[in-house]
Amino acid sequence: MTNSFALDWYFITLIFTAGLYCMLVSRNLLRQLIGLEIMSKSALLGVISAGALTGNLALAQALIITMIVIEVVIVAAGLSLLVKNYRLTNSIDIWSLDKLRG
Amino acid sequence: MTTGLLAYLLIPLFTAVLIPFAARTRHRLAGVLANVTLLAGLINVSLTLFNPANLASAFSGLAENGFALLMIFVIYLVALCVTFFSSYFIGNDSTVNRVPYYSLILTSVSAMCGIVTTGDFFTLYIFVEVLAVTSFALITSDDGAKGLEGAIKYFLLTFPASLFIIFGIAFLMLTAGTFSFESLKVIIASGLPVGGVVFAVSLILLGFLIKSGVVPFHTWTPDAYEGAYAPVSAYLAGIVTKVSGVYAVIRISMILRLFEIKAYHTAEVLMFLGMLSIVVGALAALRQNEFKRMLAFSSISQVGYIILAAGMGTPLALLGAVFHLVNHATFKTVLFLNSASLEKSAGTSDMNKLGGMEHSMPWTSWTSIVALLSTAGVPPLSGFWSKLIIIIALWDGGAKIYAVTALLFSVVTLAYFMVMQRKVFFGKPTEASRNAREVRPAMLVPVVGMCLLIAALGAFFPYIYAYLVEAIAARTIL
Repeated sequence: MTNSFALDWYFITLIFTAGLYCMLVSRNLLRQLIGLEIMSKSALLGVISAGALTGNLALAQALIITMIVIEVVIVAAGLSLLVKNYRLTNSIDIWSLDKLRG
Repeated sequence: MTTGLLAYLLIPLFTAVLIPFAARTRHRLAGVLANVTLLAGLINVSLTLFNPANLASAFSGLAENGFALLMIFVIYLVALCVTFFSSYFIGNDSTVNRVPYYSLILTSVSAMCGIVTTGDFFTLYIFVEVLAVTSFALITSDDGAKGLEGAIKYFLLTFPASLFIIFGIAFLMLTAGTFSFESLKVIIASGLPVGGVVFAVSLILLGFLIKSGVVPFHTWTPDAYEGAYAPVSAYLAGIVTKVSGVYAVIRISMILRLFEIKAYHTAEVLMFLGMLSIVVGALAALRQNEFKRMLAFSSISQVGYIILAAGMGTPLALLGAVFHLVNHATFKTVLFLNSASLEKSAGTSDMNKLGGMEHSMPWTSWTSIVALLSTAGVPPLSGFWSKLIIIIALWDGGAKIYAVTALLFSVVTLAYFMVMQRKVFFGKPTEASRNAREVRPAMLVPVVGMCLLIAALGAFFPYIYAYLVEAIAARTIL
């Protein structure tokens, strides 16, 4: 098996930057969430890549599956917050969250 | 994972599953079940901690992990105060649904017990995420627009924090091949090059710093605390964010100090961020008008002391950090529960609309005074001892400028609390406070109990110090 470690991390960085860009340019809360999801996918790829390089692929798989389950729960909780917010304020603009300040 | 303490994790989880079935038709039963479970756990852990045999032998014969045991005691104590308070706080006309509320509190208690008993980074990450999910739901438990906004801001900052932790775990796998604290100690002791391990641990540390609300990453903290349902903000400020963030930072700095000179820069940054939190939190708290928001900034400032001591990394400083974490849980719970009482009986927690509350709510006023004196570090109370340990440790470690600034800013702490006390409790009664009545005696029980504990922790300091030295320093730190 050829060592594709450098290539892995090239793509991981690319995906991370794509997610970060998505978060930075958008005012839409849903797009922010999607950007966060893309970024977290790059982090999971990082774990897999580290496992492949150190020959610990079985451990890495176990970690990844647990992390994916946790992430689904968190994203579901986040989406429920967004839906609740939309029902209350009729807006998914991030700048509409300005009631708390000082 | 310390298996002897596993029951503290499993029993609340069991009750959390039981509540939706048992209390389906009788919603009040949910509160009773939660209180009974937490009280039983608290009695159990107190029996281990305050066992006369342990006291006589100065805790040298303690079988369990002392740090985890102390944290479990604090977790159960704060959770019991909050559930007991809320079982009288949630009125019949409230929009809060009791069943998911108590179920979520118990789930988060078990997640916190998981955090404090775990021995590796991956399990730590899992329990922290479970805790985060339950806190999102708890913050919005009254369905208000403010709570929702706070929860969304909390969500948008804790998610990236978890990314840093995952990347840290990936790098840890690359460089060390293990996640457990004990094997990391072995790797450090073996004398191999550890630059990569320091980098990985620092990434994880960054994630936990965001979660604990240290200054450059503090923007979510006041919003989440102010927006949250009133008893939940006491729970969040008292224990949840402290365990999910600050506890992990202390734990990591116990590992960092073993790197000695190799992790010098990370420790330096940690100390600087701690100092920045103390300064920014205290100065921001001076100019707040909302009671809960002021308490949130004060919380940031107190977390700064803990982070500063953790960054110092000497055994004495770490003991100070642990003790200040315990004290912070006691006095901040009292203050936030008092703000909830004010909100309930006066209808507002805006400090400009309140005034002269000491006549109508004497108990709330006096317990606030005890808690704020302890926060500011006035001698007989517990906060004095922890701040004293931290400042002595900083001076001993050569960080003299930090020690002096930390000392000066505890005066600023006293200043902003005095401003608060004068605006809210002293002076002429205003319109809002004239109609206010003292809350029911049952709601005062947790607050008064916590105040007695604050005084007791201060008065019995030699025992506490013996516990810290024997059960924590001798086993976990060294």
